[in-house]
This record gives sequence, structure tokens and C-alpha cells, in this order.
Amino acid sequence: MEQEKSKNNFREWYDKNYKKLLIIPLIIIILSLFYMFNFYSQNNDFIYKDLSLTGGTTVTLQIDLDKQKLEQDLSDKLTDLETSEIYDIITREKKATIIKTTAPAQDTKNILENYLGYKLTEENSSVEFTGSSLSESFYKQLILAIIFAFILMAIVVFIIFRTFTPSLAVIISAFADILMTLVFVNLLGMKISSAGIVAFLMLIGYSVDTDILLTTRILKRKESTLDKRMFEAFKTGITMTLTSLFAIAFALFVVRSFSDVLSQIFTILVIGLCFDIFNTWVTNASILKWHVEKKQGVGNEN
Amino acid sequence: MKIKFTWKIWILIIVLLFSLLSIFGFPPTFFQQGVLITSVDQNSTAFEQGLRQGQIITAIDGKEISSLEDFTNILQNKFPSQEKIKTTVFTEDVEYILFSNEAPEIIATNIPKTNIKTGLDLSGGARALVKAEDKQLSSSEVSDLVDITSNRLNEFGLSDINVVSVSDLTGNNYMLIEIAGATPDDLEDLISKQGKFDARIGEDIVFSGGDKDVASVCRNDATCAGIETCKQDETTQEYFCTFRFVIYLTEKAAEQHAEITGKLGINETHPEYLEKKLDLYLDDNLVDSLFISKDLKGRVTTQIQIQGSGSDQTYEEALDNTKNEMKKLQTILITGSLPYKLEIVKLDTISPLLGKDFIRTILLAGLAALIAVAIIIFFRYKKFKSSFALLFTCISEIIIILGIASFIEWNLDLPSIAGILATIGTGIDQQIIILDESKQSRDLSIKQRLKRAFAIILGAYFTALVALIPLMWAGAGLLKGFAITTLIGITTGVLITRPAFTDIVKKIEE
Repeated sequence: MEQEKSKNNFREWYDKNYKKLLIIPLIIIILSLFYMFNFYSQNNDFIYKDLSLTGGTTVTLQIDLDKQKLEQDLSDKLTDLETSEIYDIITREKKATIIKTTAPAQDTKNILENYLGYKLTEENSSVEFTGSSLSESFYKQLILAIIFAFILMAIVVFIIFRTFTPSLAVIISAFADILMTLVFVNLLGMKISSAGIVAFLMLIGYSVDTDILLTTRILKRKESTLDKRMFEAFKTGITMTLTSLFAIAFALFVVRSFSDVLSQIFTILVIGLCFDIFNTWVTNASILKWHVEKKQGVGNEN
Repeated sequence: MKIKFTWKIWILIIVLLFSLLSIFGFPPTFFQQGVLITSVDQNSTAFEQGLRQGQIITAIDGKEISSLEDFTNILQNKFPSQEKIKTTVFTEDVEYILFSNEAPEIIATNIPKTNIKTGLDLSGGARALVKAEDKQLSSSEVSDLVDITSNRLNEFGLSDINVVSVSDLTGNNYMLIEIAGATPDDLEDLISKQGKFDARIGEDIVFSGGDKDVASVCRNDATCAGIETCKQDETTQEYFCTFRFVIYLTEKAAEQHAEITGKLGINETHPEYLEKKLDLYLDDNLVDSLFISKDLKGRVTTQIQIQGSGSDQTYEEALDNTKNEMKKLQTILITGSLPYKLEIVKLDTISPLLGKDFIRTILLAGLAALIAVAIIIFFRYKKFKSSFALLFTCISEIIIILGIASFIEWNLDLPSIAGILATIGTGIDQQIIILDESKQSRDLSIKQRLKRAFAIILGAYFTALVALIPLMWAGAGLLKGFAITTLIGITTGVLITRPAFTDIVKKIEE
């Protein structure tokens, strides 16, 4: 009973204030745009790029090395040197040391071979080199791919709903997801790899799912009240997002110590899905409610 | 309780069985004993006797072989031996008898337990992306380049290579080279050196590499090719070896040679030779200068001896180095020069060692994700049957993706695995929609309710589909794996697993 009452209280409050609620996403979007504008003018880019997008060499050495010492000894020889380690998830045994530098592959190999005193072969190491010309075009194309994907997604959404405002609400919500995640990732100072950009692409898919569910339930169904339909949609949608969120968070926990690539994809998705809960159920839902009530004339529905 | 399956559920079951068959093979390979041959040296007795890549060795000299360890142990105990000894190799249906004092030049691996192929980033190998240094190549130019390079790598003796042309969103064309397993140290040289070989006398080019001028090259025949001498330099302590091999010129090149030598005088300090030398240039660098015997003056001769050298700190290394130099030069003389100066824009050599740990970690991550999903689903629906149906459908979907991937021989790399994860996520989302819709609006029939669920799912499907399309080409296809597995996944979802799940839910609801 108590629960029922608080539910009703919330509904009344929401009915009264949902338009005002829209101010929150609006402010966040404006601040985010402002931040990104600023970020772009400072860094001349939308993200901090990692080696896969700027070009450079990554060497994975399958030995247990003191990474601090290595960094000290080699940082003047290898430009922009960064090191990390990977561990076995269960035994916590150190599996490899990863060295990243913007120096070319052959130079890096020679310097490391001199330092370690043995030859680097495929038995003891992996060497990955990306030239800067390729990574530059790579980056441009991934951005292009995201823009294309977004536009194509928007077209499909318009085709599905054939009404302007609700379709736009879905698109705004997806855009806000990407924008807010981007800002958050930049605030964390995360260096994005090509896989990270793919994660943003995945985010488009995940975020649109719940928006489509919500919009279909609201626009194409006529039974019961608008609020009831919205609440039912919320129940389904939040289950969807939470399952994805938990599944990804669990997986992230496992791969965290082992794979940079997958960790980054999962981290971005976790952040994105959290923003998606906000944008679907505040941004999109409020615009949609506004649209429907305006069309029907306020009060008709309840 | 007797459950009657609908045709949609039957389709799921049949597709599932086919996928399992395609993953594990028929009969399943994990019952098979022995080791799989991945390559046989073409100039070995083993090759002569008929042993080939792809065969399975089950026993050697009557001793059963169940793992790679057995295989190496037996051969290590027998070889090298002082005299030629007999080795009997049993494959699944034939036995081969070899006589040699050296171990058969066979590289083998354990028989893979499944037909799932993993990409280079998991199984190890090398990958290079190459473009012309200062020229945009057209797609036909790249395909010429691909032909020459594959030829060159084959002549060099690499097997298991894949050379293709790839293009990207902005119309750049690249050559992509992928080599599974062991990669040669000088891969970089092999693919990026233009390999322009000229033999000149003074300013005149006598002949160049490639089949226009060079009819054949002597290789692997000690009478006309091999390492000559190895000496230690007394001041630098380095070892220095020389090689020589014979090449045979075409008629036309031989006549040219005669015409040019005909004009030459006799060398004053060394009267047995002609006044000018035959200079060998590789990519415009002088490799060697050979004296020309005075008997050759103006004579049409097709047989020319080529020399070169290599050096290193130790005797063994110098010898290896020289052998490699010889092999490279032979390869270049056979295949000719590449039409463009090339630039390697990406070169990855991945050790196979971390791959196993990696796959284990990914499986663990998948398991963790499934557990997370199960917890939420049971918590939300509190119904065992539908929750179980949801998990079952989700697992079938993974099996079907893997089945199709093994069937089309798609190499699963990291982006592909990320794609599988993405699919599972959206798949579960859609099943939740189906479950919830089935419980809504009780005044509609279950059929109508599920039809509505499908409308939402199709909407989600098409948005995901179009979002993936640009990724097929972006970045020279290096992320194609993500797009491919996701496409397979969401399409199987909409066509097979979701309809079956709908019917299962219908059954449970009824």
C-alpha cells in the first residue's frame, strides 16, 4: 500500500513537472556542447587518441618486467613511452608487459633488444605498428562511419514512426547519449582506441532500442492511459538496460586486467548505458509525453 | 507433459544442430588421435614421399602419437643421426617410409578441437597493410601488386599466406597481407622492398629481374647454388660468408649481353678479364661487381653466375644471414620488381602464446555476463520456465553465430568477439520485449500481442543493421569482423531465434 501511494505521488509530481524536468537534459546538453567546443579548440580534436589512432608501436613482452624501472630507463629513448601490464584473472600471475611508444617499430625493437639483452621473436613478444598516415585516415573514417551510422539510423527511425517530433525525440536522445558519454570519457582523460570508437557505434544501437520500445508503446498503442503505457514501457526498458549494463559490467570485471581493447569497449558501453537510462526516461519520455498531450489536448487522457 | 514443437521451434533446433556440426565437424575432431601437418618443406624427402599439409599423423615407427609433445619427442630422440635411418610415418590411411639422417621437415600442430578459426590477434601471425609510397593506386594496380607479392612470398617458401586488396571508405586502396603462424624476420624487406634488380655493364642494363630476362634460377641444387666460404674478419671479429648461384637468361637477354660485352676491351691489370665489370644493383644499390671472363666477350651465353654475401657476429648467424640473402635475391630474380615503391602503413606480428589465455579470459567474461543476465531475469520474472527459455535462446544464438562463422571460415578476431557480445546484448533486450509484451493487454490474443512485440523488434533490427553498414569499409576493413558477426547475430535473431522464442513463450503462456 505504502508503495502504491508513493507511486501515485510520483505520478502526480511527474505529470505536473515533466516539462520542467526537460530543463535538466537541456542544461547538460548545452554544458556538454560547450565543453566539447572548448575541448576541440584546445586539442584540435574530439577525443584523446591512443596509439591505434595517432600511429606508433605497441610491444607486448611476455615476461615479468619492472615497469617503473623500464619507464625510467627508456623514457628518453622511446618517445611518449607508456607501459602497462596484464594479469591472469584467477591466478593474478603477471602475463606480460605492454610498451607503447610513438617511435617506429624497428627503432623500438632495437632499443628494447639492447635493453633486454635478447632478441625479440614471436616466441617472446608481439609487435604492432601503425603508421601515422594510416591511423589518421583510420580515425577520419571511423568518425565518418559513426556519422553515416547515425544518419542512417535517423532515417530508419523517421520511416518507422512517420511523425516528426517523436522521431526527433529518439534521435535527440541517442545524440545526447553519445555526447554525454564523450564528455564523460574526456573528463576521465581516457585515451580512445579504434575499438573505443566502435563502442560509440554500439552505443547507437543499444540506446535506440529502448527509445523505439518507448515510442512504439506510446504512439502505436491505444489501450489504457498514457501514463500507464509509459510506466509499462519503463518496466520493460529498464530491465533491458539493466541486463545489458550488468552483463557488460560483469564482463568488464573479468577482462579488465587482460585486454585493453575489450576493457575500453565495455567501459564506454557501461558509461553510455547509464546515460541512456537518463536520456530515454527523462529526455525522450518527457518530449514524447509533451507531444502526445499537446496533440490530444491536456486532460483528455486522464 | 508432452510438448509439441511448432515449425519455428523445429527450425531453431535444426539450425542449432547444423551449427554444432559445423563447429565440431563430423565426426567430431576431438575424438581424433594424432597431430595435424601444417606444412612440409617442398624439397624434403617427406614431401617427395607424398606427405602433405592437412594430413594427420597418427603414429611414427609404430608408436602412437596423441599429442604434439609425442611427435617432437620421438623425432628428437631419433635425429640427427650419423647415417640415414628409416622412419615410418603412419597417417590415417597410408604409411610412408622415409630414409634420412635428418628429422623429416614437417611442422605439425595438435588437431584443433573445433572448426572455429581465430584471427591473427588471437592465434598469432603477421599482418601488413601496404600502400604505394607516393601514389594513389587504382584497384587494378593493387591487384597487380597482389599477384606479384603473393608470387614473391610463395617463391620465398611461405605457406598459409593471404594477400588481398582492400579499399576503404574514402577510396584508398591497400594491399593486405596476412601470414598465419611463423613469420620470417625479414618480412618487412620482402614486402616493402621494390626488388628492382639490374645487372649493368657501365651504363648499359644487361638484364633485369623477372621472367622477361631471367628464364630460370638455380635453387636448392648444390651443383649450381650454395654458400661458398665463411671467414672471420680479423679486425672486426665478424664472420663473413659468400654465396653464389647460377641463373639462366632468356635468348633475348643473352644476345644483349653478347652485344654489350662485344664492345669491351681487355682489363689491363687482370688480362684474363674484360675491362668493365658486371655490376649487380638491387633497388639502385650496388650489391656486387663481378669480373667478366675474357672468353665471354661477344658470346651469346645464357648462363650467368650471381654472387653476394652476408655477415654477422657468430658463424651460425652469418651463415643463416647469407642463406637468407641468397634466398631473397633468388626470389627477386624470379618474380621481378614490384611496379611501385611501397610503404608499410601497418605491420603487426603477434605472438601465438598469449592467445590461449586470451580465449580463456573471453570465455570467462562470457560466462560472467550470462550469470549477470540470469540473475536479473530470474529476479525480474521469478518464473523459471520463461527465464530458462530466454537463457537457452541466448546460448543458441551464440552457437549459431559460431556455427555460421566456422561454416564461412570467418576468422574470429577481437572485433568479431566484441560483435558477438553486442549481439547477445541486443538479443536479450529483444527477448525481454517479447516476454513483456506477451503479458500486456490481456484483452488481445497472445498471437496479436506477440505480433506487436515483433514490430518493435523489427524497428530495432533495422536501425542496428543500417548503423553497421559503414563499418564494413571503414578503416580498410580491419573492423569488418565486428560488422560481420553482429550482422550474422542480429539477422539470425530476427529470422530464427526470436520467432522460436515467441513460440516457446506462447506455449508457456498457454
